[in-house]
Amino acid sequence: MASNPSSPPPPPPSPSSPAPNPPARSAEERRAGFEQEALVHLDALYRVGLRLTGNASDAEDLVQETMLRAFRSWDRYTPGTNAKGWLLTILRHLFINEYRRRSRHPETVDVDTIEPFALFQEVQEEDPQGAFFDRIVDDEVLRAVDQLPEAFREAVQLSDVEGLSYEEVAKVLDVPVGTVKSRLYRGRRLLQARLYEYAVSMGYIKGQPKK
Amino acid sequence: MKCRECVEHLYEYLDRELTPELEREIKAHLAACEPCEEHFDFETLFLKFVRVRCQTQGAPPALRRRILEQLLEE
Repeated sequence: MASNPSSPPPPPPSPSSPAPNPPARSAEERRAGFEQEALVHLDALYRVGLRLTGNASDAEDLVQETMLRAFRSWDRYTPGTNAKGWLLTILRHLFINEYRRRSRHPETVDVDTIEPFALFQEVQEEDPQGAFFDRIVDDEVLRAVDQLPEAFREAVQLSDVEGLSYEEVAKVLDVPVGTVKSRLYRGRRLLQARLYEYAVSMGYIKGQPKK
Repeated sequence: MKCRECVEHLYEYLDRELTPELEREIKAHLAACEPCEEHFDFETLFLKFVRVRCQTQGAPPALRRRILEQLLEE
């Protein structure tokens, strides 16, 4: 209906709830802001939690605790900045302090023992387009990521799956950007080596005989 | 730019972490060098493969509900 000059003025906006008191409304706003900026990253937090703890039940507890702590310190978060990185940092600290101790031993990786492996060089004659990727099931990819040493696994997860920049990954892991680059490089190569072994064992590619 | 130098920057290029100048140089090299282009395409595919396959997992709906309930109690 178009506006009609003779129609009565619109009624005053009726409050949907009786006389909201200021503290209650601000708690409401706080929650709404948190849901909008933090809760949207729940999937990413859960995936990273899974990669760190190695099981769904611990991952759920870790994420729930992360969200609770984040909500309690929500006032210290500047709206519009990197909520995802902020949340992931909280999650990772919680994991290190509360979970890692009682699960697996902290791993130490002798980075120099990792052989450089370049998947492309292995398959470039047989399958340079990487068609065999399509035959690898999701679970096998996740398993290969889970088998990476923790330092590489978290770098690969944050960068390659969750899309953080080098700078953001460096902040979450509290290491220099150069360390992120080298962990990503080695993590990806190690992941390629695992996937290659799997693809060869399944007969998806013939592969090259070991030298 | 030589192939060797180009491949050294492989991941920084694919991750969009290079300076615009270096990025342009690499792009120019790739346009002129088929083996490098094929190599970069393969690695692009690999990274996309990892991302897509690992993103199929998401938080269980029950976890979301539990968190929302928890926030209401705060």
